[in-house]
Amino acid sequence: PSLPAGWSAEKDFKAVGTVSAPTQRNLEPVGPHFLAHARRKRHHRTFSEDERI
Amino acid sequence: MSSETNGTAERFAIGISFGNSSSSIARLNAEGKAEVIANEEGDRQIPSVLSYIDGEEYHGTQAKAQLIRNSKNTVAYFRDYLGKDFKSIDPTPCHNSAHPQQSDSTVAFSINDTTAETPNTVTVSEITTRHLRRLKQSASDFLGKQVTAAVITVPTDFKDAQREALIASANAAGLEVLQLIHEPVAAVLAYDARPEAVVTDKLVVVADLGGTRSDAAVVACRGGMYTILATAHDYELGGATLDKIVIDHFAKEFMKKHKTDPRENARGLAKLKLEGEATRKALSLGTNATLSIESLADGIDYGSTVNRTRYELLSGKVFAQFTGLIDQVVKKAGLDVLDIDEVIFAGGTSHTPKIAQLARNIFPETTKILAPSTFVGAINPSELAPRGAAIQASLIQEFEKEDIEQSIHPMVTATPHLQNAIGVEFTSGETVDFKSLLNAETALPARRLAQFPAPKEGGDVFIRVCEGVREIKVTKPEPKPKEEKPAKDDDEDDSDFDSDEDEEEEETREIVWKTEKPIAELAVKGVKAGSKVELMIHVNADLGLQITAKEVGGQSAVRGAVEAPKA
Repeated sequence: PSLPAGWSAEKDFKAVGTVSAPTQRNLEPVGPHFLAHARRKRHHRTFSEDERI
Repeated sequence: MSSETNGTAERFAIGISFGNSSSSIARLNAEGKAEVIANEEGDRQIPSVLSYIDGEEYHGTQAKAQLIRNSKNTVAYFRDYLGKDFKSIDPTPCHNSAHPQQSDSTVAFSINDTTAETPNTVTVSEITTRHLRRLKQSASDFLGKQVTAAVITVPTDFKDAQREALIASANAAGLEVLQLIHEPVAAVLAYDARPEAVVTDKLVVVADLGGTRSDAAVVACRGGMYTILATAHDYELGGATLDKIVIDHFAKEFMKKHKTDPRENARGLAKLKLEGEATRKALSLGTNATLSIESLADGIDYGSTVNRTRYELLSGKVFAQFTGLIDQVVKKAGLDVLDIDEVIFAGGTSHTPKIAQLARNIFPETTKILAPSTFVGAINPSELAPRGAAIQASLIQEFEKEDIEQSIHPMVTATPHLQNAIGVEFTSGETVDFKSLLNAETALPARRLAQFPAPKEGGDVFIRVCEGVREIKVTKPEPKPKEEKPAKDDDEDDSDFDSDEDEEEEETREIVWKTEKPIAELAVKGVKAGSKVELMIHVNADLGLQITAKEVGGQSAVRGAVEAPKA
């Protein structure tokens, strides 16, 4: 979509809202992607940090 | 304990699916593909049956055959008794084998398992240990290497006491249980681990149709991670229900000719059950199946055939119960059949072609029905759980025991999932469209990357990140054009008929996205014509967002963060 006329923001970014409250659920501890998730969480790493290692 | 600490590399793990009716063992082969191992009798689905004659132990198919002559010393259908109180069990499946009895706080069987005259009381835990020991032995013999550990599949409604009892029984059989995983998730993993599979966000229904019970679950797959949204169970529905239809059909035929009911005689019934099950299974493969039993009742031999059409006619009601279970679990998850991307049929009874075909009618055409009769690349439904377990076993067998425990427990429960989808709003003229980037029920933290085409003429691009909600839009067919028809047609009677038929046309239902609330707005300036804009959204566990947008191949990116909502 094109930029509407008259729209402007600092550094071209504007936060206008927040995300709705999450639901707590249980992940199934199965599969390679979960194990990667568990590894990140245990070492408090972010996605990009995890990729560098 | 000392043996565990001095080297996890020596661990050799397999996947086991342990069922009431049958069990399977699986292992990843040299090419990294999951493979179900046959036991020394050549069975991949090994009946969960143990039988004793003169102190000798029989297992699997051999033990199952003993249900006819040696039913009192044959133990079957014991999985669901493990770790349970005697009062809470349903002894019906054991009617034709050794009966469960109360023994202190657990369930036991009184069987002659030695050469001695008097029967022994053997607990269900001990029976499970002996069964697992035999499975372990079969796997070790086949692989030529001592199996020491396993990942075992369990139903989603297995209580903690049942899990503990299973682990204790496995340990007693010399198996270290690396992890107990849920049967439906093992089935999803078995499909997702195929090399041709692509990790996508999807909602999957797993219909696990077993021998004496059936389970259904809705699993949300988000970025390769699985969350169970709802489960439904039917403890009376399964292959045995269908066997009974086949048995009754043949018994009635026999009665017509010979005036005695073979079901009234215990041995006759046992023979009918064994052969009836084989006939029912044959009807899943062929359109015709025979049944022949020597000396069924009163010393009369019996032989007959049944075709699939007849069988499907007789089983119509039971088939509807299976599809009803699937329907029920979708509703329980608060979803619509339109939301479901895949239906995975697992369990032995899923071989029945008609059940998958009936499911095909419930779901929209876009839903994949993964069963042998509806999907060419389908994996054998009986092998899904053991394959999933084998894949998981290979993933974690190198881990330290502590690592596995730490990864499994606190991590799982403490995961927030998105309530609504997050995506981008597209406005073109009047219509507002929404493209979801992170779907609802995505576990956090998560990130997604997407590319969107920029407007043809290029220039500045405006991105509006929103929360979206899916709604089901019901469009009723418009009655208007039908009324015009009779006016054109001179023949009234005929056209009346036509319009009646037209009115029966079903309403169309479709998914539409509605943007709920805006989250952030971004602008990428000076985008070249025909170029694409790349957007990355990263959602933290605390619901804070990082958003990055840039032109593909471009240098400068627009970045921003949205703060977490204040609790």
